[in-house]
Amino acid sequence: MSLLSIEKITKEYDGIKALDRVSLKVEKGRIKGLIGPNGAGKSTLFHLISGVEKPDSGKIYFKEKNITSLESHERSALGIGRTFQTLQIWGNMTVVENIMAGMDRRLGGGFFSYGLWLPWIRRSEKEALKEAKEILDSLGLLGKWESMASQLPYGKQKLLEIGRALAMKPELLLLDEPASGLTLTEIDQLSEKISRTRQEGVTVFMVEHHMGMVMEIADEIGVLHNGKLIAEGTPATVKKNPRVIDAYLTRRNRKPDA
Amino acid sequence: MVEKKENEFRKRDLFYLVPLWFISLIAPDPYLYHKKEFKKKDIFYLAAICLAPLIWSDSHFHHLMVLAGIYAILALGLSLFMGYAGQISLGHAAFFGIGAYTTAILTTRYAVPTFLAFWASALSAALIAHLIGRPILKLKGYFLALATLGFGEIFLVIVRESTNLTGGVIGIFGIPWFSVMGFSFDTYFKQYYLTWGVVMGLFIFSKNLVRSKVGRALLAVAASEDAASSVGINVSKTKLEIFVLGAVFAGWAGSLFACIMSTASPEAFSLGFTILVVMMVILGGMGNLYGPIGGAILLTWLMDILSKYQEFSLPIYSVILILFLIFFPDGIGTRLNVRVIYLIGYWAKKKKRDEGKL
Repeated sequence: MSLLSIEKITKEYDGIKALDRVSLKVEKGRIKGLIGPNGAGKSTLFHLISGVEKPDSGKIYFKEKNITSLESHERSALGIGRTFQTLQIWGNMTVVENIMAGMDRRLGGGFFSYGLWLPWIRRSEKEALKEAKEILDSLGLLGKWESMASQLPYGKQKLLEIGRALAMKPELLLLDEPASGLTLTEIDQLSEKISRTRQEGVTVFMVEHHMGMVMEIADEIGVLHNGKLIAEGTPATVKKNPRVIDAYLTRRNRKPDA
Repeated sequence: MVEKKENEFRKRDLFYLVPLWFISLIAPDPYLYHKKEFKKKDIFYLAAICLAPLIWSDSHFHHLMVLAGIYAILALGLSLFMGYAGQISLGHAAFFGIGAYTTAILTTRYAVPTFLAFWASALSAALIAHLIGRPILKLKGYFLALATLGFGEIFLVIVRESTNLTGGVIGIFGIPWFSVMGFSFDTYFKQYYLTWGVVMGLFIFSKNLVRSKVGRALLAVAASEDAASSVGINVSKTKLEIFVLGAVFAGWAGSLFACIMSTASPEAFSLGFTILVVMMVILGGMGNLYGPIGGAILLTWLMDILSKYQEFSLPIYSVILILFLIFFPDGIGTRLNVRVIYLIGYWAKKKKRDEGKL
């Protein structure tokens, strides 16, 4: 039984097929990487899984449940966390509030119980703060918990975004190019953090351009090219696959030989 | 010429240190985004508001502050919607009007007690906000502004045309004083405590919202809707809830307004009024809750002072607003300390700067 399974999913933009009947499975408790040249449809696939966009055809199952027609926030509520390719932290809040806002779906209570500041709200807010600080501690951001998120350096903001996704206790974590724009030391920190996340029982599905990192930490890799899944398997086999080498070494819009 | 040591105390430093110390005692902290918990200063504000009418026992002052309190309720609701959730509404006066007319109609036609009408006003404003909000809140930015603006105008037209219900252009007169269990708020002095009591209650309610999960969800929606829904925040529900809450605040404000002025007529709820309230929120400072209250008091007083100058009042008024926006671009409430340090420091160091020593 796989945690996430995508069946023959297709998405078109103005007649151009960004994804063409892609089927993919992510097994529970593993790190799966998704690579491919620019414009291969990786981010589109992520948008479809997290519900930012809807597929033209095909189905997405999460924990054996059809989530194709669910809204983005409903999917998150089921346990799909994600980060974004273009950094999307909330710069108008402090660092710790970013993490606490990530816990939103786990904190109960309606509008009025918060407005009236009922005793159990006070307790749950306190616990949330404590837990958020623990998460920040594990990310090495505790020293800056009270500063505005927008004042952090880029690398830390990326970490914060992952922390926010982890704060909602997801079962599946979608990472969209987590290493882009990071320095080498930061990438090392990041891969360590991702491996640790997996040990805590979170399944990770990541799009990444940084080959060294993805080959090192992923258990399994899928390769997208021109909207089609051209290879799938362990990093070692994918590396040797002639179609993958071809996709990376040849131009995307190569004209067929006349 | 004797060289001066660094950090040497000079008497003229008192010129800005003393006012700064004084301001730091009473002004809200700078960078209010960080500080969302209740502070000792809040007790000071509370005391100031409780004691003010006893110190100035002038009924004109009381009346002004009653009006300011009503505007503060409105601005508070709008500030949650604009400053925190990052949306725009130019139809807020309509909910104020709905509140006022609900109270007016219920009390004059059906002899409903004002206390019940007060709650009914909030309810009717909430219902209409819910109906309007569902389709409208899908819009963003300018489109949302235009849609809410349109709603406000439609409300005005309906009020003017349905003469049987609302009394048309003339409005409704003879609304009784606000009364709770036989205690009638019939002087400006009593009304002062009534309105500011409501303001305090709603302020505490809003502050609780802002410092908890709800406030974080609002700020998240304002900053990035995609990110908000990626952690399971229901964006459209959050926006709708805060829109309805703003309308409830406006409904209460309208109900109090109707009871205190004892009339409800359409010109009180025009576009000009909406812009005034939006101005209170912007001038007070978006993204904090002290700002709209300060802005409401400031603008109410400003209008009152300027009303002496008759036809010049509007131009002077606009010039003052522009100056405020230049010197306090993010509102007087947000970082009054910082701005005042800058302004006072500017003059204090002017001589030094002119001598080229800075």
